Amino acid sequence: MNPLSFVRRHPETATIALVALISCLFVALTRGQWLSVGNLQSLLRLAAVLAIMSFGEAIVIATGEIDISVGSTFGIGALTFLGLAPVAGSGLAVIAALVSGILIGSINGIFVALIGLPSLIVTLGTLFLFQGIAYAMTYGFSFAATDAVRQQLVYQAIGGSTLAGLNPAILWAIGILVGLQLLIFETSLGNRILAVGGDAISSYSRGVNVRKLKFGVFVLSGVLAAFSGGLEAAYIGYADGSFGALMELSAIAAAVLGGCHLSGGRISLVGTLMGAFLLCGIQSFLIILGFQPQWYILALGVIVVLASLVDRSLGRLIMKKLG
Amino acid sequence: MDNRSELDGKVSDGVTAGSAPLISVRNICLSYGNFRALTDVSVDFFPGELVGLVGDNGAGKTTLIRILSGIIAPDSGEVYFDGQRITRFYPKLAIALGVESIQQTIGLCDNLSVTRNYFLGRELVRRIFGLRFLAKKEMRDICAKVVRDFGLREGIDVEDEISLLSGGEKQTFKIARAVSFRNRVIIMDEPTNHLSVRERGRVNELAVQLKQQGLLVIYITHDIFQIHRIADRIVILENGRKVADVLRDAMSAEELEEIIRHGGVGPRVP
Repeated sequence: MNPLSFVRRHPETATIALVALISCLFVALTRGQWLSVGNLQSLLRLAAVLAIMSFGEAIVIATGEIDISVGSTFGIGALTFLGLAPVAGSGLAVIAALVSGILIGSINGIFVALIGLPSLIVTLGTLFLFQGIAYAMTYGFSFAATDAVRQQLVYQAIGGSTLAGLNPAILWAIGILVGLQLLIFETSLGNRILAVGGDAISSYSRGVNVRKLKFGVFVLSGVLAAFSGGLEAAYIGYADGSFGALMELSAIAAAVLGGCHLSGGRISLVGTLMGAFLLCGIQSFLIILGFQPQWYILALGVIVVLASLVDRSLGRLIMKKLG
Repeated sequence: MDNRSELDGKVSDGVTAGSAPLISVRNICLSYGNFRALTDVSVDFFPGELVGLVGDNGAGKTTLIRILSGIIAPDSGEVYFDGQRITRFYPKLAIALGVESIQQTIGLCDNLSVTRNYFLGRELVRRIFGLRFLAKKEMRDICAKVVRDFGLREGIDVEDEISLLSGGEKQTFKIARAVSFRNRVIIMDEPTNHLSVRERGRVNELAVQLKQQGLLVIYITHDIFQIHRIADRIVILENGRKVADVLRDAMSAEELEEIIRHGGVGPRVP
């Protein structure tokens, strides 16, 4: 196959190359510290949690919409899980956290898919709404896992333990990636999700139920964000109202870095995973070098703008050569 | 006005005899905001008939066929398919009833491959461990065959994004897709746009062949002379109203053109 066609069909190629390059740079600049087992363990865990949330974001982006509310959904998922685990047990608490994600996703879905409001506005609204609820729920205190809860199998399975040195979140991320990769690229449902993002009216004219699909992707995004919140909460063991703040920006950045087009129709989940890894890698790099964490936000902004520039130039170049 | 009803009267007597309409629209009205796209339009369409739907820009042709293909619902009026009243309009229903349309500006998703566009909405699946996955190889082979049969250029890889095709190739592909699935009705909206002279001839031949196979073919065009050669009946819309509905043999192309030119008030029918 023509190498340009290959890059066009696999938008994550550039991200994978970038991740490899930057990783080498980080290893060199930190004299190998970045590659230490301890750093890699925490880096992979952070990337896994961010990636799960970003997969949902990527699939919403696939339909040509955006979900900014994932940050507060993450927080609500974490609080629901830790708030209920001591009274109802970890198993029921996880289910409740997932249901909270379904509810928030449904609210977004109703306003965007059924009523037809712009997703940017709707999910900005629900971002503030549920962040407000999270702050109100935890006013003056935080939720923490009791020792009894920490002993529960479900609690350990979703992040409160290590398996062969790896946090379970990493395995969850891989499992979810495989499942979603199959769903999006190997099923008719996935074909239609991509079609809706490519051209909503045309896919409607081919018999695709555009509203139902858009509603569905918001619910999926809500569930994944709430689940990743639960994973983070189980690892840290406590959560307060600020949990998940600004995570939505990282999730969108991971998806964009990973080769997802905000205009819809073209996404890469493997690329999104790489994007999440890259962002967490930069974060740990800055920490190792002793920078204040605030610099991460600045770096995030620069990277997203650069990535979209590179993406556009690459896309144009390919179209020129192939066209 | 009198003239109009006279033209109407000339209509369908010849065609209705012996067969019931496959699609029947009755007193259809539709407005986009203040703009009345269709006013009180009634037409019958019969199986095995090639109907030319003619009119100037903004006459309401595209609106009418978007109703027939379920993309938009009329504000008022009735639509019958095979004698059954249709009350909810959505493309999936139209496709299920066997109405396939080749629309001018819509129908293809540029981000998907040729194969995925071909099967969009009717993907082939196979079961693996009880889960249904796309039967990619089968879909690719079928699509490649159709693309080849319709004479698209050799170099086309059906796994490539459809955006890499030219305007004419996309148009040919849409026609190929509409025709190769078993249908009862084919609606073609300006099918020869973007096509070369030779390709136009082929599309027109194809329209006649489909009619001969018993399908209802509704052919939308500006070109009255072109359609007059192949159609059995010609319906003229003007400013959202039906101004003529005549059998091909009843009027010459020149007479029909007069009707369009004069906004529906044509020469008196002898």
